Amino acid sequence: MSENIIKALELEEIPFEEIRSIQGEIIITDSYPSYLVDESKISGGKAEWLFFPNTEQEISTIIKKMREEKQKITISAARTGIVGSAVPFGGAVIALEKMDKIIGIGLDEDEKRWFVRVQPAISLNEINDFVKTKKFIVSQSIPKEENYVQQFCEDCAYHYPVDPTEMTASIGGTIGANASGARTFKYGATRDWIKRLRVILATGEVLEIPRGKYKAKDGRFIIQSGGKDHIIEIPNYEMPIAKNAAGLFAEPDMDLIDLFIGSEGIFGVITEADIWIKEYNPHMSNVAFFVNEKDAINFVKKIRSSEKLKPDFIEYFDNNALTLLRNKQKEDPKFVNMPPIREDIKTAISFDVFYSEEYLVDYFTEIEQILKESNSSLEDTWSAYEEREIDRFKHFRHAVPEIVNNIIADRKKQYPSIHKLGTDMSVEDQHLADMMEFYHATLTEAGLEYVVWGHIGDNHVHVNILPRDMNDLELGKQLYKKFAKKAVEFGGSVSAEHGIGKIKHEYLEIMYGVEGVNQMRAVKNSLDPDNVFNAGNIFVEEKS
Amino acid sequence: MKIVVLAKQVPEADKVAVDPETGTLIREGVTSILNPYCEYALDQAAKLKVDYPELEIEVIAISMGPPQAKMALLRCLELGADKGYLLSDRKFAGSDVWATSTAIKEGVANLVPEFDLILAGKQAIDGDTAQVPAEIAEQLGVPQITYGVDVKINNKRVEVKREVETGYQILSARMPALVTMSKGNNIRRIPSMRAVLDARKKPLEVFSADDLNIDEEKIGLSASPTQVDKIFAPPSKTGGEIVDGSDPKVAARKLFEYLKVNGFLRM
Repeated sequence: MSENIIKALELEEIPFEEIRSIQGEIIITDSYPSYLVDESKISGGKAEWLFFPNTEQEISTIIKKMREEKQKITISAARTGIVGSAVPFGGAVIALEKMDKIIGIGLDEDEKRWFVRVQPAISLNEINDFVKTKKFIVSQSIPKEENYVQQFCEDCAYHYPVDPTEMTASIGGTIGANASGARTFKYGATRDWIKRLRVILATGEVLEIPRGKYKAKDGRFIIQSGGKDHIIEIPNYEMPIAKNAAGLFAEPDMDLIDLFIGSEGIFGVITEADIWIKEYNPHMSNVAFFVNEKDAINFVKKIRSSEKLKPDFIEYFDNNALTLLRNKQKEDPKFVNMPPIREDIKTAISFDVFYSEEYLVDYFTEIEQILKESNSSLEDTWSAYEEREIDRFKHFRHAVPEIVNNIIADRKKQYPSIHKLGTDMSVEDQHLADMMEFYHATLTEAGLEYVVWGHIGDNHVHVNILPRDMNDLELGKQLYKKFAKKAVEFGGSVSAEHGIGKIKHEYLEIMYGVEGVNQMRAVKNSLDPDNVFNAGNIFVEEKS
Repeated sequence: MKIVVLAKQVPEADKVAVDPETGTLIREGVTSILNPYCEYALDQAAKLKVDYPELEIEVIAISMGPPQAKMALLRCLELGADKGYLLSDRKFAGSDVWATSTAIKEGVANLVPEFDLILAGKQAIDGDTAQVPAEIAEQLGVPQITYGVDVKINNKRVEVKREVETGYQILSARMPALVTMSKGNNIRRIPSMRAVLDARKKPLEVFSADDLNIDEEKIGLSASPTQVDKIFAPPSKTGGEIVDGSDPKVAARKLFEYLKVNGFLRM
């Protein structure tokens, strides 16, 4: 039976003096500058304190001390986020990098599923490496009296299937962001893989939240912490059906764990997580080519609804992205490391499907049919299943953003404050073609340089505007807002996977309105009234 | 015209480690691939097919290995080979480079006696000996050209652009001949889905030592003049000085002094 009241547990306090700390804005700016930035590259980060805790007790002690000192806290791990969530603007930084261990492996006997217990700063790469090579030692069985380690080692190959491209991201960060990526098309986002969390709140107490135990009643949770009942009123906005990482998760009968997943660290510090892992199935990578975009979108619609094929992901490259690749191939063929892309090709679709010699002919026959109906063919489609070839395809998929970043870096020499404008919006299935057309028409009319690529399987492509000068940048920003409004109109999200962080507040308001954002503020206010954690993430403190 | 491409299945090299206790390769979880240099040889064969349609080139891939080496041959078929022959027999086990070249020579002589050209990778990325193709050429009594990056056919002669330390050399030889291929500037090809599908319909046959009438005395461990005694990872570098980083200030000072004293800093 689930309940909606949860009690936070006290942690043992230790003398603050025993905890390693760096104090002073100047020393941190000079000697620890990497803790003041993340992959968003937003500038102006600063901090007065910096900590590298090893345990929950240390974190709890730090939080209490910082509250006495009236310091806000920014939580930091791998800093691979691109919306500035880990960038501090004053106060203290709790860098979790020492908490990067695998704690153990367990079997959920009811669900018959394996899970791994991890600390927050371990990277996704390390988790996969650990799980694939089964590096566990006997004492890591959860619970200890079971012999799960041996049982797991005898089982088949496993992996953690969430792949947000940046596999050096920390698990804690990806939970905070509800990270997703190409494979979300088949496997869902981070949220679907989290079984249990431990989170330290602003009181320095810890919540232990297994999935399924705490569910909202009458639209609310009651969190007992610091001798008080914190009433959490669940916001009543409706979340899009489309892929979404914007703002707080809110559903009338939601699980408490979902409030914390994707909350961008505004409620507390994740110190431990149990994550599901899944059997690793061999797969084939393929790239199909089309002479017009309509055919490509038709192909996407058909292949994603195929019961048989169930692709791992479906990724898109528009003609401008292919032109970037073709030009790069002429200048430096090894960078792209793929055969030449034909000049008449306008769109490419990359998709992975399950690989087995047994089903290969069957699969290919179905794919051939869909390709034919979309004016393409098996002859025009690259295919590979050897692991090194799959890596090669992966590199190919990432080549476009890399080339874009290089172009922008070059333009920065002339205009230091220029940057690319990358959208992250999703729409509902039936609006895919309309949204694509809207992007192309609007950008072409504006005369801006742009490429489009990304997770078309989830109706979630990234438009990258490459401003040539500051006027382009301004114009691009206006279009960005236009796109956000259109995405919302089409039942989508203004941020499908990157989150809101410190740089997309205005788009969140487009999506949920001032009222919706204020309801999120109310949740924050109840659980962290002094706005201790990750100030400026998702929204700013003041009500608008 | 018949071109034989020699193919070897190898573990993905960068993922293999050596077990320090047993001195054997740890292959657990490491997938097998077609040796990349063999793939360059096959790419060259496929290119010749396109370049000289009038020669009606047939490409036959031959490999020696355990039954699962069929997968490497399947990849050859995907990339343009017309047939694949696998020499697979317990009797071949333990063969060194000489016994291997004997077995493959017999395979070629029996299965494609009228071959015009043999293309091979310059070496395999697992053993790295680079000796097998040369020994096959010797055993077959045909000329060999090594480290090729481009091959042309000109009136019963093969013309090879080969890498040398200072640049390139163009050598030619009468056919039949054997050429080993280097990487050059090639971007490896990618088969189409059609090619992957069609490969599954092409002939891929397995032959034992008996099928080829190979004298048992000439193959396997007992016919191998050389033996691998031990495999070990190169010892990691010793010496040097590790700076204790627990106090960054002290560590930085130490590093700074080191760089200054050794003349790495211009002050």
